[in-house]
Amino acid sequence: MTQSYERQNPAFYALVLALVVMSVGPIYLMLTTSLRLNVDIMSDASALFFMPTLRNYETVLCNALWYEPAHVDYCDPTFGRALGNSLIVALVSTGVTLVVGCMAAYALVRFRFMGRGTLSLTTLMMRMVPPAVLLVPVFGIWTFQYHLDGTHAGIILVYVAMNLPFVIWILQSFIVQVPIQLEEAARIDGANAFQVFFLVVLPVIKPGLAAASIFTFRIAWNEFLIANALLDRSTRTVPVTIVNSLTEYGIDWGVIMATGMLLAVPPILFTFVASKQIITGMTAGAVKG
Amino acid sequence: MPRIRFDSVEKRYGQTQVLPPFDLTFEDGEFTVLVGPSGCGKSTTLRMLAGLEEVTSGEIWFDDRPITRLEPKDRDIAMVFQDYALYPHMNIAKNMSFALRLQRVPKAEIDAKVDRVARMLGIETLLQRKPGELSGGQRQRVAMGRALVRDASTFLFDEPLSNLDAKLRGKMRTELAEMRNTLDKNMVYVTHDQVEAMTLGDRIVVMANGLVQQQGSAEELFKAPANAFVAGFIGSPTMNFLNADLVEDNGTLAVRGPGFTLDLPPDFGARTRALSGPEVIVGIRPAGFQLASDRDARGSTIDLSIKVSEYLGNQTILVTMCGDHDIVVELDSAARFQRGTTTTFVVAPDHIMVFDKKTELRL
Repeated sequence: MTQSYERQNPAFYALVLALVVMSVGPIYLMLTTSLRLNVDIMSDASALFFMPTLRNYETVLCNALWYEPAHVDYCDPTFGRALGNSLIVALVSTGVTLVVGCMAAYALVRFRFMGRGTLSLTTLMMRMVPPAVLLVPVFGIWTFQYHLDGTHAGIILVYVAMNLPFVIWILQSFIVQVPIQLEEAARIDGANAFQVFFLVVLPVIKPGLAAASIFTFRIAWNEFLIANALLDRSTRTVPVTIVNSLTEYGIDWGVIMATGMLLAVPPILFTFVASKQIITGMTAGAVKG
Repeated sequence: MPRIRFDSVEKRYGQTQVLPPFDLTFEDGEFTVLVGPSGCGKSTTLRMLAGLEEVTSGEIWFDDRPITRLEPKDRDIAMVFQDYALYPHMNIAKNMSFALRLQRVPKAEIDAKVDRVARMLGIETLLQRKPGELSGGQRQRVAMGRALVRDASTFLFDEPLSNLDAKLRGKMRTELAEMRNTLDKNMVYVTHDQVEAMTLGDRIVVMANGLVQQQGSAEELFKAPANAFVAGFIGSPTMNFLNADLVEDNGTLAVRGPGFTLDLPPDFGARTRALSGPEVIVGIRPAGFQLASDRDARGSTIDLSIKVSEYLGNQTILVTMCGDHDIVVELDSAARFQRGTTTTFVVAPDHIMVFDKKTELRL
């Protein structure tokens, strides 16, 4: 048997190459820059050859490390703190969004009540409002009425509101697929409404919860606009901190890039863990297919 | 075990009446089968009993206790679903013990019960597997096991065997019949398969178009069907129906149709008083025919032309024509028949059932 490969147009390979360079290039630049000293970054001579160093990372994490890096005269806690803030805000807002979202989605799918269709559609329409439009009113209300500016709770609330419509929408499509007989069987087995939901429906839609959590976590983690407006020095998240470190007196590119690399790690880990839960055929064997 | 009573229970979906008000009683410890073609309301009846479907009006009683407004979990029932409805994220042991765990039964007791039922059903080696890893028959057993572990007073089965292949269905049917004898429980079983109904039911309730047509033992339904529907539904192969007129011939009553005249039993005259007109439907079961050449053959003769002959070993099934009606004949003899030939058969008077053409009630 002969194996034949279809001859591809060279332009196809060129296109693939261009796409790879475009997507990997910035990450490569970020990584190499984060491993250089500022002298190396600024000099033209060491574009390709330089001595990799972890100094920038040490600077970023100086107050989280167990030793005191020799080159750091003053340990700026900003970056380490920002990473902590980002983690708190992203994890808590993801958690709250999922808890509220799955219940809302279940109610929208399974319960019959007045205005159900409208409500279901409205949740998705909320998603169509650009965050920039919300920025000014949210800033005003959060700052002057509720004094939530500069607090974790304030920004978490915004992120929950922002992500909830999409999460409800995603989870609705998963809940619709749960065979109603499963819920009936559970009711006959003696489960009340909450037990049916938590012991039968939720485990079955775990893949949906994982997908929704990846989505919300990443949005909360990357969001800049509203975080920049609402948060203060001590509660800033990483994206805001990076931008704020670009000052007119000097830009420490090495540290910024190291922060960028560190910024990318949690979403990657989170996605990796969560996507393990996305296994197809979760309802296999539940009912005769 | 409670005696279950439906007291003028009615079911509507909006303006559509699915089940007109009806009464039905399931006696204590009885295995009752609800049987009928799809859409006849048998599943709805079962689901109302389970509490999965609301009752529009009327009341369901367990002895003297009204249960119509109770949640399923407060009715002391267990149910086996048509498509199993196993919890896909739990292993078999967890599936079976779900109800007991909700009741906070001590773990040792749960294990003992699950183990006993698993042994009874022959699934003790599957306990650690997930439903997705089982075959259809195994899943069916697990679904049964999940109900049996409960020790509820009433068991409901919603077409539990309809998703199995023919061979497995036969096997499970036998096992169910055995189980029926060992368990002293109320069992209500819904099926569209009259063979299942006949073999399993202490009492069979035949339903059609939302109405209870007849209820009784398998023998009663087979020998004395109330109407043409029950006569046609119960029994396999199904009864042959022919349009005919009731005539009196030399003092004996007979039914006459195109190509046949069949004498009725001598005492039949008394039964014809309720008749609305001379037109009747004649019903003859396939086994009611004998070859005219048989030595002990007695009764009226009928000529049938043979269309198809199916030799099944012990019996032969003939599809024959009488006029332009198909007539199925079941013979014990292993005689072979030639296609297209006409053979004379004999029908004894007591094998003939007569139904009123208008009301379809049996005379």
